[in-house]
Amino acid sequence: MLDSYLSSHREDILPHGLYIHIPFCRSKCDYCAFYSIAGTNLPIERFFKGLHKEISFYSQRSSMANREFATIFFGGGTPTMLSPSSLVELLQLSRNIFDVDDNPEVSIEVNPATVDYNGLLTLRRGGFNRISIGVQSLNDEELRLLGRPHCVAEAEKTMRSARRAGFHNVSIDLMYGLPGQTPSQWRETLLRGLEMEPQHLSIYELTPEEGTPLARRLAEDVCHLPHEDEVLEMMDITVRECTAMGILRYEISNYALPGFECEHNRNYWRAYPYLGLGPGAVSRLNIRRAANVADVNAYCESIEQAGVVPVEEEVLDDETWFREAVIMGLRMLDGVSISELHHRFGINALTYYGEILSKLINDKFLVIDGDHLHLSPLGLPIANSIMARLV
Amino acid sequence: MKTIRNFSIIAHIDHGKSTLADRMIQMCGMVTDREFKDQLLDNMEIERERGITIKSQTICLPYTAKDGTKYTLNLVDTPGHVDFSYEVSRALASCEGALLLIDAAQGIEAQTLANLYLAMENDLDIIPVVNKIDLPSAEPEKVTEQIEEDLGMDGDTIKLCSAKTGKGVDDVLEAIVKYLPPPEGDPEAPLQALIFDANYDPYRGTIISCRIINGRLKTGDNIIFMSNGAEYKVEELGIFHFRREPQKELSAGEVGYIIAGVKTVSDTKPGDTITLKSAPCADPLEGFQEVQQVVFSSIYPISTDDYEDLAAALEKLKLNDAALTFQKDSSAALGFGFRCGFLGLLHLEVVQERLEREFGISLILTVPSVRYNFYLNDGRELIVDNPAHFPDPSTIDRVEEPYIKATILIPERYMGTVMTLCMERRGENTNYHYPMPGRIEFTCELPLAEVIYDFYDILKSVTQGYGSFDYELADYRGSDLVKLDFLVNGEPVDALSQLVHRTKARERGVRGCNRLKEEIPRQMFKIAIQAAIGGSFVARTNISALRKDVTAKCYGGDISRKRKLLEKQKAGKKRMKTVGNVDIPQSAFLAVLKSDQ
Ligand SMILES: Nc1nc2c(ncn2[C@@H]2O[C@H](COP(=O)(O)OP(=O)(O)OP(=O)(O)O)[C@@H](O)[C@H]2O)c(=O)[nH]1
Ligand code: SF4
Ligand SMILES: [Mg+2]
Repeated sequence: MLDSYLSSHREDILPHGLYIHIPFCRSKCDYCAFYSIAGTNLPIERFFKGLHKEISFYSQRSSMANREFATIFFGGGTPTMLSPSSLVELLQLSRNIFDVDDNPEVSIEVNPATVDYNGLLTLRRGGFNRISIGVQSLNDEELRLLGRPHCVAEAEKTMRSARRAGFHNVSIDLMYGLPGQTPSQWRETLLRGLEMEPQHLSIYELTPEEGTPLARRLAEDVCHLPHEDEVLEMMDITVRECTAMGILRYEISNYALPGFECEHNRNYWRAYPYLGLGPGAVSRLNIRRAANVADVNAYCESIEQAGVVPVEEEVLDDETWFREAVIMGLRMLDGVSISELHHRFGINALTYYGEILSKLINDKFLVIDGDHLHLSPLGLPIANSIMARLV
Repeated sequence: MKTIRNFSIIAHIDHGKSTLADRMIQMCGMVTDREFKDQLLDNMEIERERGITIKSQTICLPYTAKDGTKYTLNLVDTPGHVDFSYEVSRALASCEGALLLIDAAQGIEAQTLANLYLAMENDLDIIPVVNKIDLPSAEPEKVTEQIEEDLGMDGDTIKLCSAKTGKGVDDVLEAIVKYLPPPEGDPEAPLQALIFDANYDPYRGTIISCRIINGRLKTGDNIIFMSNGAEYKVEELGIFHFRREPQKELSAGEVGYIIAGVKTVSDTKPGDTITLKSAPCADPLEGFQEVQQVVFSSIYPISTDDYEDLAAALEKLKLNDAALTFQKDSSAALGFGFRCGFLGLLHLEVVQERLEREFGISLILTVPSVRYNFYLNDGRELIVDNPAHFPDPSTIDRVEEPYIKATILIPERYMGTVMTLCMERRGENTNYHYPMPGRIEFTCELPLAEVIYDFYDILKSVTQGYGSFDYELADYRGSDLVKLDFLVNGEPVDALSQLVHRTKARERGVRGCNRLKEEIPRQMFKIAIQAAIGGSFVARTNISALRKDVTAKCYGGDISRKRKLLEKQKAGKKRMKTVGNVDIPQSAFLAVLKSDQ
């Protein structure tokens, strides 16, 4: 039976990811729907202590005993709202408490103008070996429109500092499909981004999230998203220009020089286990998915008083989990391994989906390549519609 | 019996029947302020959403008159929409009197007249009530005059009130006990109970609403349904307050419910007579007039597995909706389903919504049609209400289609507009007169097929809401019909076919293609939509392929949300019917009929 198969299936042999969420920002961007707070008098010190406690708490937990972490990721918000030495301290603490691989990928997200050369040096020396810079656009007008609290020059400076501080694995985030943006404007931003010589780029289409100032402006017709044809052209430009530089698309919105793919994120798409710490962070260990309370004060209060973080839990049933693994896996250009899925979940994707899947393959939206099932160039732009059939 | 009054509140749509019922319920102390909500008796979800009454609803009110006498009032709130006049006629059959409400700002409208005539046919005593006198635009004197002159009612009996503020409602209550007669009937005669409505309860079987005409009935009595001789034992009986209120006995003149463990849904038929097994009555009551369905459409479950459930659901719904008819049907595109007859488009929509909400079945309804008579060359006669049964055109000698006689009431200034509308809809023999200064009563004979879909909506919009409309079926007249088919990616979708007058076929084809283009979402392929008459194409449009989704980033914290969004998208797809490889949403099947306005 499937049930017994899964309960006997040991997930601990898989590489684990550790995610640490820092929920502060300099100011709130107009399009942002992530959990983070901005302003003056942020409870940074209190949060630091709380997080310290949450990490330490795991030293007594046997549930983590057999789990080996291959990657660590400090994300936000803006992690560099904490001082570099605090960040290093948290990293060291984590490495002491968790069983971390000898040569882990340790990433941190930084925003331009929130950390200088010295700070970056501290981070690199403290064990961070991959950095992801929130560049978003290389056009000052666009940055203003997005409500980003920095300018192009500051983004480029952060890049130079990171290089000089010894980071050899640097990623930048860029967004296209901005209100009023033309394909040629996007090409300029992209080319300028590529000139910064990152090893990795996360490039995604702006999605107006409900309740954000940007979504309101769009609804009020103050500004307009580019036409679908233009966005399609931007998607084309992206793939073409990156490929020309030897930077290959390996996930729907991620590109890298071969060998510089982000292992931590790839773990998510492979449906490998991960532990998230900090307010709003999510963990998925076996069939349990748990989200920490997304409120710094509630998070701190509970840690201080009860020593635990309130979580919202979701228990995945076996099939839901399997289907989730399929749709997440299809985000990667090399897709999912049918034998690995079978091995992990005891389900054969081909027979499980039957006609739905064979139709998608016949219609050339999906490709079977040996053991791998992946989206075709035809399927990639409409990945959602395809996944909605498989979810 | 002297202290019982059975009455209905009847009126044109929106004149305030349900609101007046609310006030009466409150004045009789039936609900606490905390329990109260507007239009209390409109308890179906669709009624509350649409703000209209669909089902007649009975409630029993204890009323102490000004002279101290205690009365029992059985109030029936009725719907005003033209599609539901059958509900009104059934309600009237269980009453001795009626309150005819007239909006003080709108005056007499088409259903005011239609419902008045229904009440007269039933030989009821009528109290005209001018409502909404609180409105700034109210003209109570003018409306009173209209009632006296146009309806020929005695000015003294007319009551004025505001159902909203409650002003004058006490006088209306007094008038009810004063002017309306108590029921007649003999409690000592053999039992005759008229079933006027029913409901299905999975635990208790059918809950039968009835009016005791003669005799009396107690718990434990053995009863017989006279139409089929089925026997049951009464488990519980009582009256309708807000909840069912069990009683020991119901006797002549009373209105209440009976529960008798009736699990065979088809045993209960509104209009049937219940009598006692031990002392049966000689003859059943007259029952209700057969109602004539005017619109036909097939219902298919979106998921073919739901066919059996749909069959059971229709049986149960029919208990509560006596005007619905259905029989088995099948379609190449949609599988097995039922051909149903309705009293109009609103009735059709209500049935669809009730099946979906109360029984949880997602449905496709095919393009509605009226019923045609075909006379074939070989002398045979064929009745066709389903485009799928359209005979080979070379075998047709002639065709007839149903006509109605429409009565339209409008202010004089809309004469030209309404005349044009009727001409566009192939109207004949238009006529008009001035029942009162400034208003025109316009009559016209129209093909039923031209009014079923949106005639009333368009009439409302071209007359800024001032036009009202009622109709009765007239006769069948010669017609020239063709079958218009729609093809999606080259495949004919039989459920979209329609029978149309030859002169309108091309226009309908073009319009239908455009509507389908609006309704069918872009998909992974380009979709061609074509309209054809007898194999030759008259219109075509394309829906271009979906070229991109917004596929944002997705990391650890977003996975759950992302999955749920996709699941929602998938569930939405389940509400569509796949024909060939094209997903056609439910709404598309009705939308092909929509006109351009
Ligand atoms: N101002 C005012 N509004 C009223 C009065 N009576 C009813 N209304 C309003 O008129 C609208 C229709 O009232 P209903 O009681 O639902 O009308 P109805 O006759 O039951 O309508 P159907 O059941 O759909 O035929 C509602 O918005 C009521 O609030 C009144 O006396 N004065
Ligand atoms: S920096 Fe990132 S997390 Fe912070 S507000 Fe801007 S988009 Fe949101
Ligand atoms: Mg009502």
